[in-house]
Amino acid sequence: MNVHNFDSKQCERVRRQLDAYLSNELLVETTSEVLRHLETCEACSHELDSRMRLRKALRKAAGERVPPEHLREAISRRLRSTQPGFFGEFRATPWAVALAGLILAVLAAQQGFRLQRARQLVSSVLTIGVSDHIQCAIKGHNYPEIATPPDQLRKKLGPEYAGLLPIVQQKLPGFQVLEAHICQVPGSSRNYVHFITRGQGTILSVILTRREGESLPAGRFLVARAPGGVDLYKAHLEGMNVAGFESNEYFGFVVSDLGPGEMVRIAAGLAPALRDALNKGTGSEKAAIPVFLIDFVSTGFNRSIQREKTFNFD
Amino acid sequence: MFFRPKIHVEDFEAAALPHLADLYRSACMLIRDSSEAEDLVQEVYLEAWKSFHRYEPGTNCRAWLFKILFHRLHHLRRRLIKASRVDALASPGEEDNLMAEPPVPQDIRDEDILLALEKVPGEFRETVLMADVEEFSYKEIADTLEIPLGTVMSRLSRGRKLLRAKLAEVARSYGIKPREKGTGQGESA
Repeated sequence: MNVHNFDSKQCERVRRQLDAYLSNELLVETTSEVLRHLETCEACSHELDSRMRLRKALRKAAGERVPPEHLREAISRRLRSTQPGFFGEFRATPWAVALAGLILAVLAAQQGFRLQRARQLVSSVLTIGVSDHIQCAIKGHNYPEIATPPDQLRKKLGPEYAGLLPIVQQKLPGFQVLEAHICQVPGSSRNYVHFITRGQGTILSVILTRREGESLPAGRFLVARAPGGVDLYKAHLEGMNVAGFESNEYFGFVVSDLGPGEMVRIAAGLAPALRDALNKGTGSEKAAIPVFLIDFVSTGFNRSIQREKTFNFD
Repeated sequence: MFFRPKIHVEDFEAAALPHLADLYRSACMLIRDSSEAEDLVQEVYLEAWKSFHRYEPGTNCRAWLFKILFHRLHHLRRRLIKASRVDALASPGEEDNLMAEPPVPQDIRDEDILLALEKVPGEFRETVLMADVEEFSYKEIADTLEIPLGTVMSRLSRGRKLLRAKLAEVARSYGIKPREKGTGQGESA
């Protein structure tokens, strides 16, 4: 009986490498080393034999498994009844995918930029009405507790705008016109026509001011369409609710601390008549006249603030 | 430059169908039931066809198909485990008893080694199959099974030992005494 020194370190190391040797994964130098050992060590050589025999038997048994004839036909049949992926039968290269992604990103950025600009434009226009309402009606408290007689209001409005008074009175049911005048914005040449009314427990302003070439963007910022084809918009600024509209030459705003839905409803009743009157008095009716609504959530202002002396009244 | 030529099913078949025998063989060895193996292979080809636009011509189509095969197999295995229908892994104690390497019979019957292989836990079985039957390299196995190279090596080593141990069990159950020129551990005739 030959007794092999099986516990030798070299045998241990070679046996650890036999798996990789069998899979042909050893480096050339290591392979030579293993082969040299196998030539002199019968036990390790025998072990390699065993492993190779096991692998050969496994490969032989597995080789008996051949696919049935009908399997290939079934696969071909199913392939022909199934569409390949990605846009049917086109195969996009990575370049095409990257280019398409770039184009989409640029378009999305452009659209985002346009939307942002449009949103800023709406806000900047609607801010005009908000500011006028706050400065004159709320902070300035430029209205009497008892309504000024209509003939005095017409005189304050002057011949150009006196005709708007009955429209405001008629189209704002439930509201009483306390004051009507033409205001000048402090530090600016801009004037605006201001109707201050009271109803539903609050103060509501109707403000008209010349557009000076500005215009509001059409599209997704429309919130409603009033009778007569007047488009309504709304926004939220300075915690207040405002509504506004646009004629050929004027922006119009309806401002109060009422809820946004109520503001839209009020503006929808008032805007068409005001737009028609302004267009008749100032130019043609060819251009469309959107109406803007700005929503103010709360007044939050001290109505006892003294009148701003910088406001001039006719 | 931006679009490749239109895909024809004939092109796909020319690239993929030559590997049908390999895929079917492995599927049978991994799940044993031949009708389930047929279904699995059909699903592999359908999935490969649907994602053929992602296949880079000139790369290893066989390895790509095997990767799909193992994805589906692992998915199936997870479902079975959830349903508590199979015991996916051998107990640790069983693996620990692998230090002693039993002798390998001189004549090994197909049914015996297939039965022994069936008793080897799935993750070891598939590694042994990939290396010893399908002759994939360690790196290809690691890519296909999405495991580190070191794990491939350890699974292969353990898997071969497990197979050997299971084969000895099967032989013992039939009362077959292993005939070997030498003995396994420490001495020879």
